[in-house]
Amino acid sequence: MRTATLQKNDLDRVIDLLSQADYRVIAPQNQPRLDGPDSIDVAVFKEIQSGDSHNIGEGLSTTGIKPFLFPKDEPLFAYENRGKKVVLTEVSLDFPKTVILGVRPCDVASVSSLDAVFSDKNAGFNDELFTKRLEKTTFVSYSCTEPDVSCFCTSVGLAPDSDKGSDLHMTELPDGTLHVEVKTKAGEKIAAVIDALLSGDGDAVARQQAGVAAAEKITRLRDSAPILPWLQDLGNFGDEMWQRLGEKCLGCGACTFECPTCHCFDIVDENSGNKGYRVKFWDSCQFDHFTLHASGHNTRNSQFERYRNRFNCKFKIYEDVFGEKGCVGCGRCIRGCPVNLDITEYMAEVAHKAAIPNAMSADPDFE
Amino acid sequence: MIEQIREKARELLESGELDVVIGYAEGSDPTRTTPIFCRKPEDTDKLVLDGRCVNTLPAYLNKRHEYPKKGWKKTGIIGKGCDIRAITQLIAENQLKRDEVYIFGAECEGVVAHPEKWDGSLHEGNCASKCSACDVKIPLDTDFYPGEKPEVDRSGPYMVSAPALATLVKMDDEDRFAFWRDDFDRCFKCYACREVCPHCSCNICITDRTMPSWVDQAAHTKGVFGWHLTRAMHLVGRCTGCGECTRACPVNIQVDLFNQKMKEVIQESFDYKSGYSMEVKPPLITYNTDDQETYIR
Ligand code: SF4
Ligand code: SF4
Ligand code: SF4
Ligand code: SF4
Ligand code: SF4
Ligand code: SF4
Repeated sequence: MRTATLQKNDLDRVIDLLSQADYRVIAPQNQPRLDGPDSIDVAVFKEIQSGDSHNIGEGLSTTGIKPFLFPKDEPLFAYENRGKKVVLTEVSLDFPKTVILGVRPCDVASVSSLDAVFSDKNAGFNDELFTKRLEKTTFVSYSCTEPDVSCFCTSVGLAPDSDKGSDLHMTELPDGTLHVEVKTKAGEKIAAVIDALLSGDGDAVARQQAGVAAAEKITRLRDSAPILPWLQDLGNFGDEMWQRLGEKCLGCGACTFECPTCHCFDIVDENSGNKGYRVKFWDSCQFDHFTLHASGHNTRNSQFERYRNRFNCKFKIYEDVFGEKGCVGCGRCIRGCPVNLDITEYMAEVAHKAAIPNAMSADPDFE
Repeated sequence: MIEQIREKARELLESGELDVVIGYAEGSDPTRTTPIFCRKPEDTDKLVLDGRCVNTLPAYLNKRHEYPKKGWKKTGIIGKGCDIRAITQLIAENQLKRDEVYIFGAECEGVVAHPEKWDGSLHEGNCASKCSACDVKIPLDTDFYPGEKPEVDRSGPYMVSAPALATLVKMDDEDRFAFWRDDFDRCFKCYACREVCPHCSCNICITDRTMPSWVDQAAHTKGVFGWHLTRAMHLVGRCTGCGECTRACPVNIQVDLFNQKMKEVIQESFDYKSGYSMEVKPPLITYNTDDQETYIR
């Protein structure tokens, strides 16, 4: 498919043209913050209008693109009690035509992990709230050139320049231009809209080199594939490592809610008077009441068991059930954890237990 | 300093006087430390204490975090002055007994506001604002303190430390509401702010209750406002100002600004500073038959 060159400072024009072509444009944007030392920079994906500033290409956003496919809360239907009759009103499944710009490779790869859960591919049920949004969404991804200390995409079969799940992929070259690769039909439509800004057929060699250079900057290297058999051996479910490493976990949902592939939700009726909504909203396996039964019995009664679940969900259950990546190595759960519980330490520990060489090659301190 | 603490911790673990010593160890990257539970004497070699030690470890003494289930008869804990203030408050609120814990303290030089701001040293640009108004750099109550502990006058009133609060207070109501509405838009109710707090000690938080549901669980505007206003009220006269709720929030919502404002109010109305006495009870959790307000008698 087509390749081309785009000038980086034409990204604003890209936003203009896509908006004019009736796309809802989503891009990462820095959030305003109060003065004082206690606040930190936060960038999130949000709808962007022509002229708004964005930070495409400047590091990984604090949260990902998940909310645009699976919002943190949404009504399933409205209900109203009218005497003996209950009237239900469906929500609209007519979602706006959307393009998400500047998505990092890990985030765009996470879409197929979510799809594995919400579409009928594996689950046998099609969650249209997800799939209809996905049909309307085009992903314009953007290679990483400066992975940070928490990134580990190369440990889960991805890379700072991978284009898995992308419709149109951009890579920033050392000369400041962007190498553009059209990947799908949806990407072709984007290329057609921004055609006036595209020139030539790009520099495939420089793009390749940029990817290699970025991958070399990644310091967390934990090959995830070989740890699967150890996790599949149920005898290891009671291993001492789970408690030892997981004891400090405080059971907040920060890791799960920042995670691009975490997908658990709860459903509740929000009632007011004789009417209300049935609402779907994010839930987290790290919460103490996530597995609390009506009887009062809790199948995961200690916090370390809850993190054991999270780790197994990413590296075993996903593989077993969906044949998909449960973790895309974005490192958000590492950056965001208040107690520095680090998922790659679990990976290293399992590799150590399973006596797999090389899996902790970047970890000379590992005993 | 840390050498002396390590040595004492080792000695008390060896003798069996302590079951565990909760402290800080090197984290998984150079900007971070991480909580560690030392059970074996040799674990104490891993202890560190410096400007990266942000966590309020007394959260682990909170029953929310399975503390009673651990079965520790005596728990050693390393605390900065503000952490020890949290322990003092837990004792004042009958959440903990003084003789259950053995407190290691040391003079504190402050901590970084957020690990992401750590650049190898602590300085004006990256030090947490709580440290600028701190009167417990020499900690209040300790069982072990390296060297001689000087007397410190802590009789002054509570001082708001976050410069952001001054900015917020100056806004008119509409702007301030708009500010929080926009900020809260990012809140996804992960409850990190609750879980790191030493004083969010309810077994079942009111926001987790479903029969009836007091606060909408979903993270929409109503659910998020409901959560933060409820939380702010539940910590009135109890928050000891460690700032962890703000530091832990993954999306930079400065939740402790509510708590700082309420600390000021409690100071003015009741002349009370939380975390300075194990005996004086927080005003809003006590009942007094000669209260000047008739509605409460
Ligand atoms: S691992 Fe960290 S972020 Fe996740 S629940 Fe535990 S404390 Fe929270
Ligand atoms: S588990 Fe952690 S590193 Fe993996 S995708 Fe989720 S947030 Fe990213
Ligand atoms: S994990 Fe890889 S793809 Fe994701 S931000 Fe880091 S370098 Fe980029
Ligand atoms: S508030 Fe005081 S005791 Fe706490 S970290 Fe800052 S300087 Fe140390
Ligand atoms: S830590 Fe932040 S995102 Fe999480 S519930 Fe608290 S304010 Fe909301
Ligand atoms: S409310 Fe925030 S600042 Fe106050 S004690 Fe709790 S975590 Fe610390």
